[in-house]
Amino acid sequence: MISFFRIIKFALQGVFRNFWLSVVTITMMIMAVLSVTILVAMDYVKEATIASVKNKVDILVELRFNAGSDEVEGLVIELERLTEVKSVRVITPQENLEIFRQRNQDSQISRALDIYDEEENPFSYSLAIGAYDLSQYPQILEFLNQEKYSGLVQVSEFDSHEEFIERINSIAEFVNRYSLYLALIFIAISVIVIFNTIRISIYTRRDEIMIMKLVGAGNSFVRLPFVLESVFYALAAVLLVAAAVYPLVSLLQPVLNNYFQDYSAIDLRNYFIGNLLEIFFYQFIALALINTLSTSVAIRRYLRI
Amino acid sequence: MIKLVDLSKSYSSGKVAALKNINAHIKPGEFVSIVGQSGSGKTTLVRLIIAEEKPDSGQIIIGGWDITGIKDREIPTLRRQLGVIFQDFKLLPKKTVFENVAFAMETCGFSNKEIKKTVPQMISLVGLKGKEDRYSHQLSGGEKQRVAIARSLVHKPKLLIADEPTGNLDSINTREIIDLLKKINNLGTTVVLVTHNKDVVNSLRSRVITLDSGQIISDQEEGRYLL
Repeated sequence: MISFFRIIKFALQGVFRNFWLSVVTITMMIMAVLSVTILVAMDYVKEATIASVKNKVDILVELRFNAGSDEVEGLVIELERLTEVKSVRVITPQENLEIFRQRNQDSQISRALDIYDEEENPFSYSLAIGAYDLSQYPQILEFLNQEKYSGLVQVSEFDSHEEFIERINSIAEFVNRYSLYLALIFIAISVIVIFNTIRISIYTRRDEIMIMKLVGAGNSFVRLPFVLESVFYALAAVLLVAAAVYPLVSLLQPVLNNYFQDYSAIDLRNYFIGNLLEIFFYQFIALALINTLSTSVAIRRYLRI
Repeated sequence: MIKLVDLSKSYSSGKVAALKNINAHIKPGEFVSIVGQSGSGKTTLVRLIIAEEKPDSGQIIIGGWDITGIKDREIPTLRRQLGVIFQDFKLLPKKTVFENVAFAMETCGFSNKEIKKTVPQMISLVGLKGKEDRYSHQLSGGEKQRVAIARSLVHKPKLLIADEPTGNLDSINTREIIDLLKKINNLGTTVVLVTHNKDVVNSLRSRVITLDSGQIISDQEEGRYLL
């Protein structure tokens, strides 16, 4: 127990009495933690972007002009029974007319409506169908293609939807695959930087280690304060980055909102607040383990005296 | 206290012989000077005694313990039973005088109470009372060596090995350090002084072992510096 407290005391003395060396070491670790945190943020932005795009994809099914509200309701019930279908939204002829007017208010196309009377509506019902997953759209389309719905459904955008869905899927796959490589490169660089920082720090204090050994200190008595010191460095680096994250993402959030034109799509600030402990706890554990291993390896050669 | 039997050590795969068939017996309570010119093997002998290196052949027995084939994990135990002072002091630079002296006791597992009681006494014995909170860079050469002596004695070893303790000191500090070593010897500690300082050796009037080219060329009970 006495040794345990002495090891903690020596570790703290090591941190504070080698102040500038500690500052340099912690700074290098902050760089590593910051890199990984940026990577986590990028991964969230990527996932949120893909999810947002996927959520916006639905199949717009135009129904035939003669489709009545009862028939539409029946089709909606049938569609909602499908396990692949997440939501079905009915767009009435009146809504379709308003959407058309709104979209084309500054265009010549809006004049196409001039051939109709005020009370006439050239639009029919349509359905916006959302699936749980992009890959489920073909099944939904297959369902709508059945013979029994041929008098009701007039689907004109099947092909382009399929193509778009495939593209989104392939982009998501591509991004996921390369972001994994990017993450591995970032993590590898961080590990190399940390390992070498610790090596330099131990090298700087090699005489101290040798003196301790000559005075009769055992290997553990010399090694453990250095290991603990490196864990303190990890804690300091992670806490400092964690403290800096909230102001940083608060600055970044308006830029993201502006870019994506959607306030709910990517909420980096809430993501970090919600996952703060998890993100930084795991980073601390990983960094502490790397530091412990690096210190043990770096100090080994100076203990052979 | 120390028994050296046919002790040999060489470097560069046997090409450079540092020590050749050394035989000596240092009894408890003795004050022995080991003298010789640079390269005579004095420092190699100290390194072997503190297990910093291992001999090629022969035997080293310290306090009845044959340390010839000492295992790495046993070395700290050996060093805790010795007191060693070096020419370059080897103080821990980021520790105060008090902490440097206390460190030797901390490695031995002494309680904080014992440390708080013994360390000030030892600092006082070496004449550094009032300088407990200074760091080594705030001390003179003589003061640094006194700290090293206090550290080497604080855990009450039976044997003190002083490797060129006055090598970096002026004549006044040299005199003071040698007087301190004599005082320590008078209190019962065996002292082995490794030096090439002729005046120091001649003034001691104690046993002198002279080394030359790795061999003992003289071992006199009340000897003088021969070379």
